[in-house]
Amino acid sequence: MKKLTYSMESPAAPLVQRNWWVYVVLILVCLVNFVPYLWVVMTGFMDGASASSATPAWFFTPSLEAFHYLIVEKGIMKNFFNSVIVSLASTFFSVTIGMFCAYALARYDFTGRDDVSFWVLTNRMMPPVAVLIPIFVTFQTAGLLDTLAGLIILYTAMQLPFVVWMLTGYFRDIPRRYEESAMVDGDTWFSAFRKVTLPLMMPSITATSIFVMILSWNEFAFATFLTSTQAKTMPPAIMAYSIGADIRWNVLGAAVVLITAPLILFVLLLQRQLISGLSQGVVRK
Amino acid sequence: MADIEINSLIKQFGAFKAVDDVNITVNDGEFVFLLGPSGCGKTTTLRMIAGLEMPSSGRIAIGGRNVTFLRPRYRNVGMVFQDYGLYRHLTVFGNIAYPLEVRSLGRAEITSKVEAVARTMQITEVLQRKPDQLSAGQLQRVAIARMLVRDADVFLMDEPMSHLDAQLRGQMRAELRHIQKTVGVTTIFVTHDQLEAMTMADRIIVMKDGEMLQFATPREIFERPATEFVATFVGEPQMNILDARIIRLEGRIVAMTEHFAIPLDADWAERNGLASRIDTPVRVGVRPEHIAIREKPDADHRIVAELYSFEPTGAENLYVLRCGSVMVTTRSSTTETAHLSKEEGSSLAARFDPNWIYLFDPATGRTIAQAAGSDVSREEI
Repeated sequence: MKKLTYSMESPAAPLVQRNWWVYVVLILVCLVNFVPYLWVVMTGFMDGASASSATPAWFFTPSLEAFHYLIVEKGIMKNFFNSVIVSLASTFFSVTIGMFCAYALARYDFTGRDDVSFWVLTNRMMPPVAVLIPIFVTFQTAGLLDTLAGLIILYTAMQLPFVVWMLTGYFRDIPRRYEESAMVDGDTWFSAFRKVTLPLMMPSITATSIFVMILSWNEFAFATFLTSTQAKTMPPAIMAYSIGADIRWNVLGAAVVLITAPLILFVLLLQRQLISGLSQGVVRK
Repeated sequence: MADIEINSLIKQFGAFKAVDDVNITVNDGEFVFLLGPSGCGKTTTLRMIAGLEMPSSGRIAIGGRNVTFLRPRYRNVGMVFQDYGLYRHLTVFGNIAYPLEVRSLGRAEITSKVEAVARTMQITEVLQRKPDQLSAGQLQRVAIARMLVRDADVFLMDEPMSHLDAQLRGQMRAELRHIQKTVGVTTIFVTHDQLEAMTMADRIIVMKDGEMLQFATPREIFERPATEFVATFVGEPQMNILDARIIRLEGRIVAMTEHFAIPLDADWAERNGLASRIDTPVRVGVRPEHIAIREKPDADHRIVAELYSFEPTGAENLYVLRCGSVMVTTRSSTTETAHLSKEEGSSLAARFDPNWIYLFDPATGRTIAQAAGSDVSREEI
């Protein structure tokens, strides 16, 4: 049977999107973002000579020289695992503590609530490096210098304001009715929170965690000053191993691959959660 | 199943008294409505019964047990919220099963109970869906099912029908009333829709500004309102209220408005002691259905007015009349008024049924005299 060919579509609304310029813009943005990164990754697989030659080459014989230097000679995997521990732990603590703070700010009406949330915000206004020396002295006194625990405490404190601000908004979007209805049905407040509010908050919490983890993973200034041998994380380690009298570009490139690969994998895996989390509250049913 | 007793319940938010001295006794199995305009404290009262809000003072007892300051989970009440309060992340089955899972019942028992209640509410085919895949009517049914599935002592409903369209609301009214009577659980229903309250309630509590104005059967609320507010809040179109003075005209007591006199029943005037109110202002209330209209004035139909607007509603016609600055709405069946002019501006004559005239105190709003026709003892003679 032959299909009918007429359509109900108005001719003014073409079925195919023809705004080709959107793609031009997208390609340009991608080029600007990806070409430098691609170049760094390529440099990581060059040998010392071709990486520092005056005429850059698009085609070269790949070599694992830089990776060998970093992993075997310098033992950068120790720094890598330091970074993993510090960022996972500080993300866990800041999100857990921040979640309860945010819940309180979103749900309860108490004297000075607005002052508290403003104070939380002001913590993000100051450049962190401004308190670097006081924190160094504090860490020295407390014996926290060059320890993973010290970094975890510091990062947790640094990320808390961000977590509180993000999650307060998300909690406000979840009607109180859900918890109230669970409580009338016989739950305690905490189990209502755990079984009803948390599942609804999961996408937002995941998105916030990813942000916090990226920030902790990449943190450079404090890690440089507060660690030396035992607790050194990836960012200061990369600087130490690749920049000496001169810059060893291939080592730097290899280090960039090592430090970004886990993040890229992590975000690719959680992409769906991240997007639905960021759009929470924007899309109404 | 239980009765509810509420004594001098007060809830204050700062200086604002949301609920002011509410006293209610609800009998076991009764279907009671809290009716009032928005912000009158009806929802706050309900939330205090549920335990979601703690009273500033007063006492609440369910089944003789003092629950005033108990947390919700120790009260054994079931509740339906205005926006249903269904969990987005659970299926309909999960939603209905939730209160049972909290009580850690066995899997088999939960399934059989949920399925039974789903059959009652006719939602068996949507049990595996998520709430966002349901229509408003289905959401409503799921929310009620979640309340019914438990053996709660008391059911509380907070404007559960406000998101439904008019047709669905009509269906749900009959169904909900039927279910309430079948299950027999004491139920308190909050609404601002007088029609809902009038059609479903055993008794209605009318509230305004945190205060209870009247607690009576729908018929009594309608026929013997305690205040002018109750009289005008219940009934559609609402009762006509006219400013008037009680005077003696040709030896008879009448209510004199700015433009015309309303004759009053002599016996009734005497019984309500209107003689002592000569020359004092009153507010006269007459329901639209108690005003008869004619084309030409006669001995009975003395009030001559101009037709301001004609509103046919199908079985009934509404005539809005204007006499000077006074507007009066009348309601009569379409057949009765078929011969009358529907032309705006045409002249008509009206008669206020003296059996159905109410008098209200202009200062306090209280009812001075209930309509003679509403007197139950007279009706029985």
